[in-house]
Amino acid sequence: MQTKPKFDPNSPEIKAYLNDLGHQFVREGMMVAFPTCLSGMTTPIPLDESRITALDINAEGHIYGGTSGRQAHLFGAAFHHLTGIVLDAGVVPGCTTTVAVCCGASRTIAFVNGAQSGRAVAVPHIRLAEDWIQEWGLAPPVLQDLGECVPGEAVVHAVAVASGTTVVGVTTNHLFTVDVESGRIAVVGEAPGRGQLAMGRDGVFGQDDATRLWRFDVAGGRIRRGAVHLPDGEWTQPLRWARDRDNGVLFTADAAGRLFSFDENKFRLLGKAHLAPVGPMAVAPDGRLFGFCGAEMANLFCCDTVSGSVTNLGVAASVLEQRRYGYQFGDAVTGRDGEIVFGEDDNGGHLWLYFPKIQSARGAR
Amino acid sequence: MGSGPIDRRTFMKVGGGVLAAGLAPAVAAEAKAVGAKAARAVDATPFPVKWYPFTEHPDSDTCWSLSVGPDGRIYAAACAESVPGGVVKPVRYNEQRDNLDYLFNLAEKVDDPGDSGRASQCKIHYSFAPSMHDGVLYMATHLSGPPIDLPVYSPWYSWHDAKRCFRGSALLAFDTRTDQVLWWDTLIPKEGCRCLLHDEERGLLYAMSYPRDHFIIYDLKTRKRRDIGRISSINPQTLFLDKQHRVWTSSDYGRLVRYTPETDRLEISPGLLAHDPNYQTGWHSVFYDVAPSPDGECVYASTWCPNPRLMRIWHNQGEWPRVEDLGPATQARDLNFPIDMYDDHCGGLTFGGDGKLYYVASRWRDAKYNPTPESRKRNEGVVWCLDTQTLKREEVARLEHPTGLAHYVSRGAVDHNGDLFFGHVGNHPSGIFKVSMPADRKRKNAHLPIRMWG
Repeated sequence: MQTKPKFDPNSPEIKAYLNDLGHQFVREGMMVAFPTCLSGMTTPIPLDESRITALDINAEGHIYGGTSGRQAHLFGAAFHHLTGIVLDAGVVPGCTTTVAVCCGASRTIAFVNGAQSGRAVAVPHIRLAEDWIQEWGLAPPVLQDLGECVPGEAVVHAVAVASGTTVVGVTTNHLFTVDVESGRIAVVGEAPGRGQLAMGRDGVFGQDDATRLWRFDVAGGRIRRGAVHLPDGEWTQPLRWARDRDNGVLFTADAAGRLFSFDENKFRLLGKAHLAPVGPMAVAPDGRLFGFCGAEMANLFCCDTVSGSVTNLGVAASVLEQRRYGYQFGDAVTGRDGEIVFGEDDNGGHLWLYFPKIQSARGAR
Repeated sequence: MGSGPIDRRTFMKVGGGVLAAGLAPAVAAEAKAVGAKAARAVDATPFPVKWYPFTEHPDSDTCWSLSVGPDGRIYAAACAESVPGGVVKPVRYNEQRDNLDYLFNLAEKVDDPGDSGRASQCKIHYSFAPSMHDGVLYMATHLSGPPIDLPVYSPWYSWHDAKRCFRGSALLAFDTRTDQVLWWDTLIPKEGCRCLLHDEERGLLYAMSYPRDHFIIYDLKTRKRRDIGRISSINPQTLFLDKQHRVWTSSDYGRLVRYTPETDRLEISPGLLAHDPNYQTGWHSVFYDVAPSPDGECVYASTWCPNPRLMRIWHNQGEWPRVEDLGPATQARDLNFPIDMYDDHCGGLTFGGDGKLYYVASRWRDAKYNPTPESRKRNEGVVWCLDTQTLKREEVARLEHPTGLAHYVSRGAVDHNGDLFFGHVGNHPSGIFKVSMPADRKRKNAHLPIRMWG
């Protein structure tokens, strides 16, 4: 006896379902998965050493990042002009996790953890602006180990201040700074490290206890514990942040996927992502917030930060450069021209360039 | 079903949307008619071919798994993936009755019935793996069959939907001595098992998950699962084992992937698997089927790619194995069109009792490259014999279905009597072919040494 299906193929529900299935991957814009190499010329970072967990962008619009896995690699990447390359700058011996990469004015400082503690490592400026179509030549970059940040403690996160001369970081229990030029590390004082730090207009913020943020005044060198109350929400998971480069407004999410803006010490509830937890996010120049949500198989979302509306843009997939599905992402940064660059936190991780759908100049989206 | 061109997606669409809804009386009637002609002989050559449709499981539309069991008998999966709520039923060839025994409804055995509302336990996909010391045949299910009240299923779309998401690949231990399911477990939550391998000496099962393409290890003693991580995007269709207990498969870009238990690492080879260098890069040259040579020194493989390639891999030699390209398995064609992968296919690799490699490659009518007369079916499944000493190939038989298709063979195996069997994909109901071997090519216990992967 044959199975009898229990649906009407002509019902509006089934038609809507089929329509939805037709748009389950990247419903708007374009994703490009770029491997961690110069395609066809160099080999990518090994499969189990290529989970991209930290990204930043320098003043030239070049991306610097780090991986996690069997060994942590640091890399530089460029996608404009005649570039199109991810250059593996090398491994950090004994380290398996990159937690932050901070582009300073003269060089980049990466923070990596090993079995014992976290270290700062300087990546020199890499001259990526070459003709990578015809002929190229550059010396391999040399990483400089700046030493342990706080003895015996893992680094949790770090951010570069706007001037690019200083990086502020936090371990599990202490706040520290790194002078980008000299590489000198200074422990400022005690502060808990839970999740990412955020570079606001008037200081660096980090999660203090369950419902408050501490604030670090970089110029004054002071930590103010419990400086800001988090709004009503589920603050049970380490925080992630995104920052609008144009106006300094910050964005974060609670464990339920509620999205908030944070400006002048005030939070505003935006919408709610359709899945939780919310992963890496970045802000496009037009103010739209893009990010991933959901564990194991993340979905891309877009939040209109004016109206607060949130749109599910589906699962990541790339058919340009490399044909690949994207499931897990570790960090995000806004690219030179407004594209969003996501670091894929998975075996064989790629840099995913997302080019959002262009909005109508006549007002309607 | 006539002999006109039909691609697999069209076929599955017909199966899922029309047949399932009871709107295809012609197809259903044909299934019934074919059932009445079960086990019909259609060839009287030295290699006579018989078709055994899964008439007692009329929902079946595919047979992705066919293997020889630890008892030397042939097991196959009657899969029903295009039918909402469809379930898989393992079958066994009964040589006394010259027919099939239907062993059980797998969904019922694992408490995940077809009307659960979730994606169903619809198929076993290259996932029979024998256990010789205790006569157990392990089997693991795969996904794709839609919930009973939906026309199709996407594991990406429904990943976070507790009501719809596939519960997970079910692993069963079937005792071929008593015909009992000894136990079952969830092998991979939310995902299907694309292919399965048993390392009997170490008591480990290896699997590839779908859709996330993760490499999974299951310890039979502790019944614990470890996820070693993702390989790439296109599922390889086979895992195989070497003498050092390393497990091999392939990546999206046509490279070998090796898991070494001692280092607990997945590594990718510097070299590429066989592909046509004139127009292919190696992308999508993932393994389709891999058969071990009887002496265990090398394996023979075909790729899941247009113009599938045959190759021989010496996986016990060197830092990375030597890969010998044995050339294309199917015919020449125009290269400016991406041929349907249902038309252009090679599978069913297995060694016969004569020590030669047998496999089935598709052949299709093509005005320029293969202008066969209209009196013949457009698509044909050709049984080839490869002498692995001389590398000479001989066409020994053509598979014939009474009315339907016979060109897409998933897996092949030789039973303890030395006869060949092939699982086929694409008829309603689906079924298996038996190719009786000439006496001089048979031997007792021809299935030994047994293949340990699906």
